Amino acid sequence: MISEKLIVDKGTSAGDDWITVDAANVHEALSGLRDEGYRMLSFLTCVDHLADSSRKWPARFEVVYQLRNLESREQIRVRAFVDGDPPHIDSVSDLFPPANWDERETYDLFGIVFRNHPDLTRILMPDDWVGHPLRRDYPVGGEPVEFSEEHERWQTAPEKA
Amino acid sequence: MTDVLGEGVTITKEGETSAFGGEILTVNFGPHHPSTHGVLRLIVDLDGEQIKRIKPVIGYLHTGIEKQMEALRWQQAVTVTDRHDYLSPPINNLAYALAVERLMGVDVPPRAKALRVIMSELTRLSSHLVWLGTSGIELGAMSMLMYCFRERDTILDMNEEISGFRMHTSYIRPGGVMADATPRFLEMLDRFCRTMPGYIDEYEALLTNNPIFRQRMIGIGRLSAEDAKVLGASGPMIRGSGVAWDLRKAYPYSGYENYDFEIATSNMCDCYGRYLVRIKEMREAVKILRQALDRLPDGPVNVDDRKMLPPPREELETSMEAVIHHFKLFTEGYSVPPGDVYVAVESGRGENGCYISSDGTHKPRRVKFRAASFVNLQALERMALNHMVADMIAIIGTADTVLGDCDR
Amino acid sequence: MGKNILTTTLGKVVGWGRGNSVWPAQFGLACCAIEMIATATAGVDIGRFGSEAMRASPRQSDLMIVSGRVSQKMAPILRTIYDQMPEPKWVISMGACASTGGVFNNYALLQGVDKIVPVDVYIPGCPPRPEDLLNALMILQERIKAQGILPRQ
Repeated sequence: MISEKLIVDKGTSAGDDWITVDAANVHEALSGLRDEGYRMLSFLTCVDHLADSSRKWPARFEVVYQLRNLESREQIRVRAFVDGDPPHIDSVSDLFPPANWDERETYDLFGIVFRNHPDLTRILMPDDWVGHPLRRDYPVGGEPVEFSEEHERWQTAPEKA
Repeated sequence: MTDVLGEGVTITKEGETSAFGGEILTVNFGPHHPSTHGVLRLIVDLDGEQIKRIKPVIGYLHTGIEKQMEALRWQQAVTVTDRHDYLSPPINNLAYALAVERLMGVDVPPRAKALRVIMSELTRLSSHLVWLGTSGIELGAMSMLMYCFRERDTILDMNEEISGFRMHTSYIRPGGVMADATPRFLEMLDRFCRTMPGYIDEYEALLTNNPIFRQRMIGIGRLSAEDAKVLGASGPMIRGSGVAWDLRKAYPYSGYENYDFEIATSNMCDCYGRYLVRIKEMREAVKILRQALDRLPDGPVNVDDRKMLPPPREELETSMEAVIHHFKLFTEGYSVPPGDVYVAVESGRGENGCYISSDGTHKPRRVKFRAASFVNLQALERMALNHMVADMIAIIGTADTVLGDCDR
Repeated sequence: MGKNILTTTLGKVVGWGRGNSVWPAQFGLACCAIEMIATATAGVDIGRFGSEAMRASPRQSDLMIVSGRVSQKMAPILRTIYDQMPEPKWVISMGACASTGGVFNNYALLQGVDKIVPVDVYIPGCPPRPEDLLNALMILQERIKAQGILPRQ
C-alpha cells in the first residue's frame, strides 16, 4: 500500500486523479502503487514550467508518471518536482520495464538524470547532440519565416522581463 | 568484440564464443532496409543464424512534433498531430481533440461522435490493410500488397470525399469535426460495408491455411500474457497473447459504448495469433461501421461555442459579435484553462494517448504523445531471442511498429 | 531492306533506354513512403513506366525518391546512400517535408533534402497523390531523354 505520509498533495484535474510525491520518495511510492495493483505504466514524461505564470510551481521540472490498474481499470497520475543542474531522480525501470526507454527519452529531451538506469543514453537525437531540445529555453529552431510574428525571436523562450 | 560499429556500442561480452566454436557476429540492420517498416535500425548479435541479442536504435525519424506544437496555437496544432502515426491520422486527431475537450469541459454532439467513430474505424481498417500488405510481401506473398492497397484506395477515396485529403485529414478537431458527411460519402460507406467482408474472406483464403505462411508464423515471436503485461504492450500485441484488453471497452470514448462489437483475442501468443487478431479486428471494424452508418443521428457536427469554433460565414455579414469572434479565433486562438489531462485511444497499434499540460494561454505548454509503437518495440528483444534471422522479419512485421509514432 | 533500318543518334537511343527504365531505390522514410508504395500497386502502376524494379540496394538503382521527412540523425545516412549509387543518378524529392521541411520548421528536421543532395524534381503535397509521383517521373524521363549521352553538369 502506498503510505499516506508519502503523499504531499492530491487532486483531480479534468477527471484524472493525481497525487504529488517528493522526488526522493518516487521509487517507494511507485513500488507501493504497483503492489496495490497499478502494474501498468502508461507513460512517464516531464513538463518544464519555466516562466509559467499561471500558478506557483514548487520546482522547474515536473516528472509525471501515469499508472494503470488492468483489473480494476483505475488510473492515477504521480507527479514529482525536481530542480537542479542537472536534475536527478531515481529510475523506476526496475519496477516497470517500459520506463527504460521513456526515461532515456526524458533524459534526451529534458536533461533529467535518472539514477540507477541501466543505459542512460540519448535515444531520439543523434549521440553527439548538445542541449536538451524540449526545454523551454531551447529555441524551436528551423528556418526563420519572413513576415511571421516570430520572425524576430523564433523560439518559445519566455519574455525577458 | 568491442566497438565494432564505432559508436560505443558493445553488446557482446568479451571473449564470448558461439556454440559452434566461432565468434558472435554483430550485424547492423541499417535504417535503410526494405523490410524494417520504416527507418528502424537493429543491431543484432548472431550465433550462426540464431539471434542472441538484439538492440533497436530509433530516432531516425524524430520530427520534434511535441516542440512544434508548443509553437502553434491549439487549433493549428491539430494538423501536426496527423503526422506522427501516419497510418492512422484520424485516431491521433481524436486523442488530441478529446484531451482538449476534456480540459475545456465541452462535449460534442452525437452526430460528431458517430462520425468520429466512423473515421476511426475506417482508419483502423486502412492501417491493418497496410500491415497485411507489407507483412505479406515481406514473407514472399507479393499479391497481398496489391489486394490490400486496392481496398485501401477505396478508403482513401472516402477520406477525400469527406475531408479533401487522402491521408492526413485533420478531420477530427477539438469541438467536433471538420465538416458534415456528404450524401456521396454515406453511399460509398454503405457500398464499402457490403463488399469489405468478402474481401477479408479473400485474404483469409490466401493466407490463413497456407502451409508456408503457417510455417513462418506459428511458434515465431512468442510473447506470453505475463510478459506482455509486464512489458506494457498494448493493442494486438497483448490481445494476441490472450489478454482481452481494449481501450474501446475499458474506457469507452466518443460513443463506443453504444456499439456492439467483440474484443479480438487469440491464445496462440505468437505471430500467427496476432495475425488472427488483426483479421478479426478488421471484421469487427466493418461491423461497427455498419452500426454507425445505420444509426447515424441527425444534428450539428460541432459544439455550439463561438469562443472555440468560428461562426458560419453567413453570420459574419449580419452580426458584429460573430466578426469579433472570428477575428479573435483566427489571430490569437482560444485559450484552454490550466490543468493537465491524459486521454488514451485504441489505434491499430495499441494505446495511443495524448497528455496535455496547459498553462491557460493560447498555445500548448506541453503535449506528449504516448506512442504504442515506442513501448511495443521494447518487446522485440523478448520475442526475437533464439530465432533465426529470417524470422526476425516476421517478428518486426507482427509488432506493426510505425516509426513516425515511435520517434515523434 | 530499307524498311528494317532506323537511323537516329546515339544520344537519343541512350536517353530513350535510360529514361524508360529508371530503377528507383526504395527510400521511404515516412508518410510519403506509403503513397510511394501505393504508386507501385496495381491501381496506379509505376511498372508501366519502367520502374517496376524498386531495388533495395542503392548500388543497383538510378533514382532515389526521398519520400518523407529527413531528420538530423538520418541525414548522413541519406548522403551515404546517395554516394553509393552509381552515375548517372537522379533524385526526386517527394512531398513537402523532403522539399522544404514541410509542416515542421524545427530543430529536428533538415529543412529540405536539397541541403545535402542535388534534387532534380520536387513534388509538393502532404503527401502527394500517387499520380503526382507519376507526373514527376514523367518530367524526369523527359529530362533524361533530352540529356542523351552528355555527362551531367
